[in-house]
Parts: sequence; C-alpha cells; structure tokens
Amino acid sequence: MRTAVYGIGNILLGDDGVGPAVVRHLSSLPLPPNIVLEDLGTPSLDLPSYLAGFDRVIFIDAVALDAPPGTIRVFSRSEILAAPTGIRVSPHEPTLADALHVLDFAGTAPREVVLVGVVPSTLDGGVALSREVEGAVGRAAGVVVELVRSAA
Amino acid sequence: MKKITIDPITRIEGHLRIDVEVDQGQVQKAWASSTMWRGIEKILVGRDPREAWLFTQRFCGVCTTVHALASVRAVEDALDLEIPLNAQYIRNLILIAHALHDHIVHFYQLSALDWVDVTQVLSADPKKASSIAESLSEWPGNSAKEMAAVKARVKGLVDSGQLGPFAHGYWGHPAMKLPPEVNLIAVAHYLQALEYQRYANQVVAMLGGKTPHIQNVAVGGVANAINVASEATLNVDRLYAMKSLLDKTIDFVQNVYVPDVCTVAGFYPDWFGYGAGVTNYLSVPDLPLDTKSTQYELPGGFIPNGDVTKYVPITSQKDATWRKAVTEDSAHAWYQGSGPLHPWKGETEPNFTDWQADGKYSWVKAPRYNGQPAQVGPLANVLAGYAAGNPLMKKWTDAALEKISTIAGVKATIPMLHSTLGRHGARAVRTAVLSELAKKHWQLLTDNVLKGDTAIYNKPSFPKGEISGVGFHEAPRGTLSHWVVIDNGVIKNYQAVVPTTWNASPRDEKGVSGPYEAALLRNPIADPEHPLEVLRTIHSFDPCMACAVHTFDPAGNHIARVKVL
Repeated sequence: MRTAVYGIGNILLGDDGVGPAVVRHLSSLPLPPNIVLEDLGTPSLDLPSYLAGFDRVIFIDAVALDAPPGTIRVFSRSEILAAPTGIRVSPHEPTLADALHVLDFAGTAPREVVLVGVVPSTLDGGVALSREVEGAVGRAAGVVVELVRSAA
Repeated sequence: MKKITIDPITRIEGHLRIDVEVDQGQVQKAWASSTMWRGIEKILVGRDPREAWLFTQRFCGVCTTVHALASVRAVEDALDLEIPLNAQYIRNLILIAHALHDHIVHFYQLSALDWVDVTQVLSADPKKASSIAESLSEWPGNSAKEMAAVKARVKGLVDSGQLGPFAHGYWGHPAMKLPPEVNLIAVAHYLQALEYQRYANQVVAMLGGKTPHIQNVAVGGVANAINVASEATLNVDRLYAMKSLLDKTIDFVQNVYVPDVCTVAGFYPDWFGYGAGVTNYLSVPDLPLDTKSTQYELPGGFIPNGDVTKYVPITSQKDATWRKAVTEDSAHAWYQGSGPLHPWKGETEPNFTDWQADGKYSWVKAPRYNGQPAQVGPLANVLAGYAAGNPLMKKWTDAALEKISTIAGVKATIPMLHSTLGRHGARAVRTAVLSELAKKHWQLLTDNVLKGDTAIYNKPSFPKGEISGVGFHEAPRGTLSHWVVIDNGVIKNYQAVVPTTWNASPRDEKGVSGPYEAALLRNPIADPEHPLEVLRTIHSFDPCMACAVHTFDPAGNHIARVKVL
C-alpha cells in the first residue's frame, strides 16, 4: 500500500500554514517506512499530479467549521466529495474534491483519502500560527500517526 | 428582479472577481478586482535578502519556482553579482520545465472545457475521431481503440448522473461549436495530459530537489553539486534520466498540445475578433546565456498599440528604460495614497472602502509602463519574439497560423492574434519554442559539465548602506518582477509586480482600464445566466487565481454569479 501524507496551506497566511506545520512536526516522529511526507503548500491545479499512483492519501489542512479555533475534525473521502462547497480546503482553488473528481474520471485516484482538518483562528498575512492552532499541531500529528498505523 | 446564484460564493471568496454589465448581448462595462488582502510583501521587510526566495516562493501555489528565481535575481542584481554558467543553465532548465508543465495544465485542465463540450462525446464516432486526429499529427495515442475507450469512460460518467470534473461546464451552450469527434479527441488528450504534465514536473523536482518549493536556489547560484562520477550529485546518469523525461514532454507538446490548440482555433475563427483589450504588450528577455545576464535566449520588450514595427527591446535587467518605466497606482485599489509609485518606493498600506464602481474596488494595484497599461503573457512574448526576428518564434508562429488557416478555411494572420483566441495560440507557440529550447539548454548544461566546469555558486557579500535591485522573469503568465531595496544587508522594501497584477489591473488615476477589463468590452454574451464567453476571455489570460464572475444589467440588477477555475 503506497501512502502519502500531505500538508496543504500557505505558510505566509497565518493559520493557513497549519498543514505544513503538522508535516514539519511529523518529520521528527518515527513513521513507517515508504510513507511519502510532503508540505505541498497550495498546489491548486497541480494537486492531481501528487495524488495519482497512491493507494491512500492523508491531507492536513485548515478547514472552515463552526467550531473553536484549534478544533480537529477528520473527513472521509465521501464527505470530501459530497460536500466540497462546505469545506474550504485552502485559499487556492480547485479543491481537493475537484482533484479527486479528475482522477476518478481518469481511473487513477487513490482509494482512500482522509482529510485531517484544523479550524483556524486567523488567515491574515504573517508567518506565525495563532496560539490555539499552534497548540493543535501536536494533536493533529497524533491523529495522522494513528491513521497511518491503522491501515499499515 | 431576476437574481441567480449559480455557485456558492463561499468557495470563491478571496479571489478574483469580475463584474460585467451586459446589455444587448454584449459586455458594456467591466471591472476586475481581487477580493483578498494579502500584504505578503510586508513579511519580507527586515529579513536577510539571501532568504527572501524561501518566502516568495510561497506567494503562489502554482508558480512557486518563478518567485524563487525572480527573488534571487533581484538580490544578485542589487549586488551586481555574477553567477556561474552551470547555475544559469540549471535555472533555465527549471524555468523551461516549469513553463512546459504549466502551459499544458492551463490548456487541458483549465481552459479547454470553455471550448469543448464533453457531453457531445457521446455522439462521436471513435473511428472517425481517430482518423481526424491522425491527420493532424503522428501521435501514437490517437488510435480508434483509444478513442472508443475514452468515449466509454465519458458514457460511464454521464450514466452515473454525476459529471465529476465536468460538473461545472456549460454543456449544450449555444456558443459550443466543435464537431462531436473533435470533442472526443480533446477529452482523450485531456486524460493523456494528466500523465505528460507530470514528466515536466519531475524534471523540476530532479533539479530543484523537490516540487513544489524547489530547494536548490541560492543568491549567487545554485546548490546542485556537480560531479560526473558521483552517485550523490548531478551526474551523467541523472542528466540522461532528465533528458528522457524532457523528450516525452516535448513529444506531447509538439504532437498533441499545439495541434489541439490549432484545431480548436480553426473551429472558432470568430474568436479572433473578440478580446483584444489592451494592445500595449510587455515582456522581458529570459534564459540568460552568460554569467552577467547580458545575453538572453529569448527577447522581450514593449510593443505600443499592437504595432510590432514599434517594438522597443528591453536589453537586460540593467536596461535604463525598464528600470524607470514600471510604476504602480492605487487610485482604484484599496491602498493608501493614489499616485503612481516606482516599486522601490512602493507601499502596501491597506485602505479598504468596500467595492465602489467609481472609487476603489480591488486589492490589485494598477501597474503601468511609462504611464500606460500593458498586457503581459505568452502573446506579448511571442509578438516581441516575432518583432525581434527570433527564428524559433517565427517558425512556430508561422506554422501555427498555417495550420489554423487550413482548418478554418480563412487566412489566419498576425493581427488576428490580438484576441482571446490569439492568446491561446501564442501560448501554444511559446510552449513549442520552449520545448525546442529544453533540448538546447540540456545540451549546454551537459557540454559544460563534461568540459569539467563544476562551478555552481559565487558567495554574495553585502555592502554597508543602501542598494536596490530588480529581478525579472518571463513567467508562464507573463512578466514577473521583484524589486528589492537592501539597507546594511537587510531588506528595507520588497515589491513583487506579478503577471496577474498587470492583466487584472483596475482602472488607474486617469480612469484607464487594465487588460481584463478592456478585453471584456463588447464580448458577446449569448446567455447572461451562463456567461461562457466571459470565461473564455478571462481564461485566455491564464489568471493565477480562481475567480468569480458577476453579471448584471444596466440598471444594476444582478443576473448571475458563477465560479471560474
């Protein structure tokens, strides 16, 4: 099973950088071998290129939810596809759902896709995370580690 | 009053917004605005100039490499720092590979569906599609079997009731004119493009360490250790692995992408009559061939009023006119002040007022060249190359015009390129030129390395006091420039004037519109609720942001709001 773990978001826009921050955190943890771990930034139209060929992809990104900053919620593949407009995956379009639609049509989409979403406090320009989201980085990394182990 | 919201605005907030007033089947007024304050440049003030590129390559997710390279060029320019020949060639190859990737993605993933009706594929004859495709090029992926398989795939999608990636298309729109077989060919190539765009990206990753966010750049050169005999460095094996990826990409560009653009253009000749907009064109020379960046592979310069005989070349980053001519104006942008400022004096202090048709309405400033708006992008670059007599630009432009003429049955000419379709044609021409230059610059690098030159880096040293520099790059979306002021080795000011800023420019202090706004005027609109024609013109510029289009009637009544990716 080929697995990729991708952080999504812009590190220059405050808490939008939470995905890349979780990837940095994960890079210091012992993960099973052969897992691709990458900070994809805001890949937009390039996203399909990074998904094709994997069996399972775990994303970490800021998501807009009616919940306190730092809240973590895990979305399944069907939730991502069913409610693309409810989850603002990053400031860049197209969304993860769009990329999955393209690859589903091409027949090369990963079977398993999970989004670990973290609710942001601020998306204003700046390279630092808010205190609430900074505090969620370790927990989000823990969720990713569990997900990786559960199917490894 | 009739008010239709086609797509939830929540998906597109913070991006580009286009407002058009439609009357009598045409766009009468247009406004282009960006709805998100970014202020990213302010993050750079006070930082080490050697690290600026690490931040600038995060400006945009699509164009990471271009902002990395424009940034190091700006700092090197301020220092008058030469860089080794290997570093120039490696950077050139990265820029070429990135552009090949980007142009392929733009056409197939972003804009082809403005012209291709996917649902029409169901009535296509795969055998006929195959013979049409085989008459256009010698691409092996055009067999009747391949076409039948793609048709079956589309049928499966339509039968499922979910149009997946095509759900937002304007299927059955009266402005769609391709025969079913050409629609089928286009969808087959759309799928193949997903594979081939990856090869070009792999070249960027091989040289840049990884993508996105290359890691091999440095002020003073690159960090790619070269040793022909070492496994861990740039060696002969890696050079040849890269060549094989480039060869596949070149094949796709010349035998699929270029013929596809010419074919689509040939079926929509009326679109050579719309979308000219601002016909002052700006491009800059790129792919430097010497250590001091005085000689360039591709020319660039300014063309006033679409008149290629009045072309004024820009010689290098040191060109005196270029260094003075660029200003940004905030009269209609949400920043303090209004008067045009040179980027070295540029300010990024917000002053939000709400969207005002006659006042401030965008977060994008209005860049001007000698006080005039300018269109940037492949069309500007191709016209400059044509005006300068660049042999590759002439060869591919003439070949494309001839192919379009054959299909359209109308003679396609240079003046017709000032149009929505002209921008697509020019992008294909530029991609073909770059595909040839990919081979050339691979050879230049390989020859230089085999000659025993392993130099990759010259260490920068920063003087006391204030210096300023500009780094430019003819990026896939057009002229990009980074302007830096350094004081005692620390960044004092930093401004990036990006291609989409030139094209999405709001009106300036004189009320003169930017390229998007001007190009939309008199654009036909068959169905105001489904403004496909607006998408065609905006997409032809290859905007770097997703954008929202709002249409309304002269009384200000809202007609539609649609998403444009």
